[in-house]
Parts: sequence; structure tokens; C-alpha cells
Amino acid sequence: MHAIQQQYWAVRDYLSPVLRESKFKEHGRITPEEFVAAGDFLTYKFPVWSWEKGDASKAREFLPADKQYLVTRGVPCLRRATSLAYTDADEDAERLLSFGDAGDVASKEDEWVETHAGRQSHLDSGANPGVIDDIPDLDGGHDEDGFVGGVANMSLGADAANETPDLDDIPDMEEDLEEDDAAAAPSKPAAAATVLEASDIEVAKGNLLQVRTYDVMITYDKYYQTPRIWLLGYDENRTPLTPPQIFQDVSADHAFKTVTIEGFPHSTSLQAASVHPCKHASVMKKVIERMNAGVVEEQKAQRKAGAKDKDKKKWFSRRTSGQGKDDRVAAGAEEDDVEGMRVDFYLVVFLKFIASIVPTIEVDSTTSM
Amino acid sequence: MPVLQFASFASLVQPTFWHELTRLKLEVLRLSDDHIPVTATYSVGKTIKDRNTGQEIELGLGKSRAVRVAGGSQHAFIVGAPGIVKNFNTVEEFKDADKKALFNQFAEEMWEAMVKNNDPSVLNKFLLITFADLKKYKYHYWFAFPAFAAQPLWEIDSEWSSATTAFTNAQLSILHDKLAAQSLPYFLIRRSGSNVEIASVDEYGDFYADTPEESRAVGFIDPSPHPSTPGWPLRNLLAYLRANNPSTTRYIQVLCWRDTEIPHGGSHWKSTFGVVIGGQTQGKPNAVGWEKNPQGKLGPRLADLAPMMDPSRLADQAV
Repeated sequence: MHAIQQQYWAVRDYLSPVLRESKFKEHGRITPEEFVAAGDFLTYKFPVWSWEKGDASKAREFLPADKQYLVTRGVPCLRRATSLAYTDADEDAERLLSFGDAGDVASKEDEWVETHAGRQSHLDSGANPGVIDDIPDLDGGHDEDGFVGGVANMSLGADAANETPDLDDIPDMEEDLEEDDAAAAPSKPAAAATVLEASDIEVAKGNLLQVRTYDVMITYDKYYQTPRIWLLGYDENRTPLTPPQIFQDVSADHAFKTVTIEGFPHSTSLQAASVHPCKHASVMKKVIERMNAGVVEEQKAQRKAGAKDKDKKKWFSRRTSGQGKDDRVAAGAEEDDVEGMRVDFYLVVFLKFIASIVPTIEVDSTTSM
Repeated sequence: MPVLQFASFASLVQPTFWHELTRLKLEVLRLSDDHIPVTATYSVGKTIKDRNTGQEIELGLGKSRAVRVAGGSQHAFIVGAPGIVKNFNTVEEFKDADKKALFNQFAEEMWEAMVKNNDPSVLNKFLLITFADLKKYKYHYWFAFPAFAAQPLWEIDSEWSSATTAFTNAQLSILHDKLAAQSLPYFLIRRSGSNVEIASVDEYGDFYADTPEESRAVGFIDPSPHPSTPGWPLRNLLAYLRANNPSTTRYIQVLCWRDTEIPHGGSHWKSTFGVVIGGQTQGKPNAVGWEKNPQGKLGPRLADLAPMMDPSRLADQAV
């Protein structure tokens, strides 16, 4: 069934036309050109992101060959999303964040409400591991302790155990290969526990702490005409995460609903977790509208403080502000003109939005830098 | 004086590598177990700030990733490490293989290239042995990052301190720009007044011909985020310098480079500096470097990709 659905999506994707007209303020959707422009801005501003070519056979012709999708690797994920369950008490913890340039006069326009600010990780302890139940396997070979027990017994089907030697046979391979190496720094072997203990964070100063990491990819979805996010996770021992483990890092409102495991479009065989983009456009539209109003206000105020004789231009420029590319030109030519939010910012805003779906994965590098 | 300790590499294999290995195994290698050349990368050690507690948390070691079988884009501060993969056809072969001999031969070749040919490009070579259980989507693998363990051990003069104790802010900024432009995993540093110059480590003789010893220093891109432990690459770099230039390397000033950008606002230089002493001048040191598994023992690791590759399991996930 799933395979048929994926085929259907592929066909639908093939048939849908490439968006040519800029719609990012009206609908929250962007054209491939705007995706590239916003991606260029993101990689310039935050060099942890970079463009990738992907598999040549899967290249999309409406994107430049060397700018098929964006990737950032080794994104840390310190604790599980289930420990962030939202309660009334947290409302006071909201605070405004600013992600504009330091010293940028217009940086106020970039303020953003961050929830859970200053929240302690008291829920995230060994006693409350916040495990999301695995989706039951049809073959009944599901191991209840699958992701607590670490790699040794992870998802080992009952029928699989006696056919091939599993890992339990192989650790005996510990051979007398090396003498004690006095000059090797002792590395803390990460225990099999998949949940980070709160106490580990306390002692992290000066100690090497191993955390889950994610590779995050952003592709352009031709059908929904929005960016789409993909996640590949690794546990503390740097082995790939299973889907149930990845769902631990997705906020409860979205796990199993908007986040699914699907074939990564720029690889022939790779599967990754993805946030389904069907609601991206409407959410982005709302967010952009709200931010744009603030930006326009700000720019108006600035402009008034500056030259008064440019009053007419304000309206003119606002009408054309839907054109992403023209926008950038206009921005260069007349910096104090009112033009609203530029499309370059789209992906920065998009990441803020994604951060609400995967709250513990630090995809939003814009606040940590 | 304290013994100089090194933080070992930690491997991270992206699923795309296993997909590629599967394809190679089925379409190209078949039953051959020849060595396959691969490239891994590591970058400077990172720390992040925990937004909830405000503490700096170190992020593993610059991870060695076997990414692509050939090629790959190069960014500044990301170092490519050459390596070979030896894939075994059966689990018995994998278990019974003479790993000691394999490793020693590999290390021997590295030492030959380092000392006889003065070739620094082999300093971060690695070996990876694998067994791919394609039907179960399970991959057993074991990395070795050979390092030459000097006898007597290297010692550190006092302790690792901030790079600003030995270099001015201006000098570090110059270094940053030069490294960003040339991408050298290891480099020689020559201080002259307020300026600094860098060169590849195989130009030791010429570059330092007229330089007094106190103006010399060696640097490397350091994958370790730990403030008092430099990363694994330093080990072979020291062995290489000591073996090729025994008369002038009893004391070596070392700069562990960990900055991807010039600090601005309230941040500081993360690079560290120290003076190391000692090392082995006679003969080939023993090599060590098999990676430990999650249990902290010398043993292979397992990547179980069935949940992400097995079509029947994926179908169960889809609602």
C-alpha cells in the first residue's frame, strides 16, 4: 500500500508544473529560484549549511546541478522531545529571541517567541525515559526493550536469532591486538541507555558528552512548492537510529502524523524521516504575514525618520515586493525603502517553524550562533 | 611533566555509505574482497550551548565519516582522510581474519611513506573492515586509525592553554584566513614580528632554514573539542616530525586549530596551544588504533539498517 502511495506521489510530482510566479507572501509557497536564493542566503549566513549535488540520476532539472538540496551534518539533539511536554507553567517561560545581525538597526524585526526558555530538564531522567511505543511489528518479532537495550538486541526478530550469528557472537573477537595505550585519552564508553540523564548534563563541563546527532536535509518539493525537511539520526554510539527512536525526537503532536519515513528524493535507495509538507505553505504564509507586518512597520518608521520626500515610493515598492529577485535588487539600490520581508529569509523562518516540530534537534542554528 | 594524551577518532558512518557498499558488492565487487579506496572527513571539534541549561557541551569528536567511495567536495576546515575498506564475504572470514597482520602491514606501509618518502598525506590514513549481511541489512564493521605510539611517551610542558598565550589576535586572524584559503590538515607556522606564515609540513627544512626555534610552531586541524586533550591526528604528526627532523624537534610548539570563524561579539578563540617534549627518535614506533565498540572493548560495531531499508518493515511504518 505504502509503495503504491509513493508511486502515486512520484507521478503527481512529475505532472505538477514548476512554480514560476513568486507567491511567497500570498501563499507561503516559493519558486525553485527563490529556494536557491534563500538557500544561498542560508549557506552564506550560517556556513554549517551547504549545498549538495545528490545522486546525478535523481537531479531535478529546475534546480542548478550543484544546488539540488541543502544539508547540515552532526546537528546535536540533547534530549528527547517527550520531556518537553507543554504545560501551563511554561507559558511564563516564553521569551523573545532576536536573530538579526548584532548591531543591525533593524534587528528588532526578527524577534521571535521562544517557548520553554530556561526550562530545566527535570523531566528527562532515567526514571522517566519518555519512550514512545514502537509501532507493533506484524511478524510479532518485536522486542519490547528494543531501543533501551542498545544495539545488541535492537529489533532482533525471534526468527532472525538462530540463522546468522548476531553481534553477541562477535564481541568475543576482542583480541589481544594492542597493549595498553597510555597516551590514548580514556574515552567514556556511552552506556546502552538511549536517554540522556539529566545528571550527565550537569557534569558535562570538561567531560566529553556523547549525544544523538542528526543529519538534516532540505529539499524543494515540487508539488507543494515548499521546502521539505529530511532527518537521518545517529545515537550516542553513532549508529543509525530506527524510526521509533527518531519519533522520540518529534513533538507528540506531529509524530506518526506529519512525520513519516520515506524515500529520500536525491538518492536511489536511502530512506529518511521527513516532515510532510502539506501544511507548510499555510503555516509559512501566516508566519510571513505576521513578520512582514512588523518589518514593514519598522521600515516605515525608519524611512520617516530619514527622508520625507520618498513617501510615494513606499506604496510603489510594496506592490512589487512579491517579486523575489527584484526585491533583492531594490534592496541594494534603496536600502531605506519599505519592501517588507525578503524571500532570502524564507529558509531561516522555515527552520524556526521546523524547530517547533522537532524541538530538541537544534536545526535552528540561527539562535546558537 | 604530565603525559600527553590524545583523544581518539570516533567513527560515524552515514547510511548512504552502506547503500553504496551494497550496490558495489552486488554489481561490481561480487565475490572479490580487494581493497576499496574510500575517503572520510573530519572537521574541527564543535561545542554547542545547551539552551536549557546554558552550559557548553562538547560534541563528540570530529567524526570520521566514510562518506563516498571516491571524490567529494572540500571545504575549509574539513579534512579528507584516505582509507581502504576490506569487505569480507562471510562472517567467519570476518571473525577469523588475521587482523593483527592486516593492521601491522597497513601501519608498515604508512611508516614507509612517512619516513622514506617524506609524504605527510598518509598521516591520517585509516583501515575499515566490514562484513555486510545484505539479506538482513546488517553491517558489521571495525575501524582502525593507526597511530604511532612513541616510546618514551610525549609529555606536555605544563598544560594546554588558549592559543592567545602564544599568538596575538591579529596573528590568529591571519592564520584563519590562510587556512581557509589553502585547507592544510597539518601546517608549519613561522612567526616574524606581527606576521605569521604557514607552509606544508613536508617543507620543514627549507621553511625553517633561517628561523630561530622559538618562532617555530606546528599546527593541525584538531577534531577534538576537549580543552585539555588534542585530537588523534597530532600523534602521527609528532611521530612524523620527530623521525624526519630528529635534531630540532625535542621541543615542539603545537597549535591545535579549532576555529572555523574569527570570533566576534563575546566569543573567544577556541584553538589551544602547548609545548610538547620527548618522543622516539630511533626505529619505528609501535602502531595502535583499533576503535573500541560501544561496550568500550576492542571489537567490531554493528549498523542495523533493517528498520530503514527492509521494505516489509518500512511498509509497517506507513499508516
